[in-house]
Amino acid sequence: MSIAEINEQLLRSIGVGVAIARMPGMEFIFYNEPFAKWFGEPVSGSTLTEVIEGLDQDNLASVLENGQPFNGEVQIKLKRRSLVIAVSISVTKNGFEPLLVVECQNITRVRELEGMIDSYSSMVERNTRQLEREKERVERLLLNLMPRSVYEEFKTFGVVTPQLYENVSVVMLDLIDFTKFAACTDPTVTLSELNDIFTAFDRIVEQFGCERIKTIGDAYLAVSGMPIATPDHARSVANCAVRFLRFLDRRNQSYQHKWQARIGLGTGSVVGSVVGIQKYVYDVFGPSVNMASRLQMMAEPMTIVAPTEMTYDLIDEFRLGDFGTHDIKGLGEMKLVTVASNFRSAKAV
Amino acid sequence: MAGTIYEKYGGFKTVSRIVMAFYDKALDSDQIGDYFVDVDLSQLIDHQTKFISSLLGGPVSFSDDQLHRVHRQLEICHADFDEMVSLLAGTLVDHGMARDDVETVIGEIEARRKMIVSIGS
Repeated sequence: MSIAEINEQLLRSIGVGVAIARMPGMEFIFYNEPFAKWFGEPVSGSTLTEVIEGLDQDNLASVLENGQPFNGEVQIKLKRRSLVIAVSISVTKNGFEPLLVVECQNITRVRELEGMIDSYSSMVERNTRQLEREKERVERLLLNLMPRSVYEEFKTFGVVTPQLYENVSVVMLDLIDFTKFAACTDPTVTLSELNDIFTAFDRIVEQFGCERIKTIGDAYLAVSGMPIATPDHARSVANCAVRFLRFLDRRNQSYQHKWQARIGLGTGSVVGSVVGIQKYVYDVFGPSVNMASRLQMMAEPMTIVAPTEMTYDLIDEFRLGDFGTHDIKGLGEMKLVTVASNFRSAKAV
Repeated sequence: MAGTIYEKYGGFKTVSRIVMAFYDKALDSDQIGDYFVDVDLSQLIDHQTKFISSLLGGPVSFSDDQLHRVHRQLEICHADFDEMVSLLAGTLVDHGMARDDVETVIGEIEARRKMIVSIGS
């Protein structure tokens, strides 16, 4: 077998579709089996562009004029299957006769796999978005339970180290006769009242840069000066306290149930930490928390009681009144003051 | 999604092969091949990938309503559906899936027969 015969045999047997055509006229000189299978047997005298339908003829002509190879893709239908064939046409010379060499490759599988990858990536991306949303939801939930900086620590290390905050002020509010109200009212009404009031308190607390720590039934506890220290902690909680009362006062004018509250302020150091493993609760402990709680119990309805240590910080912005000296359980003898707002319209004194 | 058939058999790696093989078989079938003739290739692959992933408990789910919407114009009869089920079962077995799992998948697809078949009783 001569080299020429071997070459021809090779061209006939490979899986790539090969055809040779004369350059002027584009008539076929040779085509192999895969080519005929994909494009049909070229009848005598038929041209390249007639056999391979869908070739971009203008593009082909301009490319061939410059002697550059042509690369394109055509879609054909073989039985029911759509095939994508990559067609590459280049110019060669047989002696003086210029010839077109057509090389066709079946790239259907490649396209199918590309389609599959697209499909998979869209699935993965959608799932990632869902996970992201879920993560945000969890984050929002955890941020309800603990301050952001504590949450960040928890996220990074998996634990929260109890931390001592030296200069913190605490506001503790208790709704008067809540238990009585709850006992004689539909629980859903009780809850909606509580929800309404505490949501408003949350807004006030946020406005003054304080942090709501928890509500225990009808008691509401917020702090200032932790986890981020602020020199204004005493003023911040007092501002919240007078606005809590003002809110209740305004609300009472239009709502059926007239709520009254007592408020105690406390100041000093506080330890903050997450308590529990399965059920996380961020909580605060320390003398200032006890102080706010005890003073709240002593306050007259719709008044605020604070220790005299806070006088210096509050005197410019609030109306302070003497509340005498009292022996407070666990804290000893303390001089106390009442705190009221300077709002003209406020009825609470 | 722990413990789904999708994960048990190697996730997308296997599903992609199953989809390709099933797609070839479906096109070659005289019973159902014609349904796929005029469908856009990438759309079909996308649909098959998601559908088979969802049958195996993978990260996609098709609502019954979606399935019904896609298939209602196609006038698919029970014989077509049976052929599809048998081709899919064959493909799953070819890819080394245990009999129990094949039955689970077929159960899943049978549950959707009503959404896909639109003619015949």
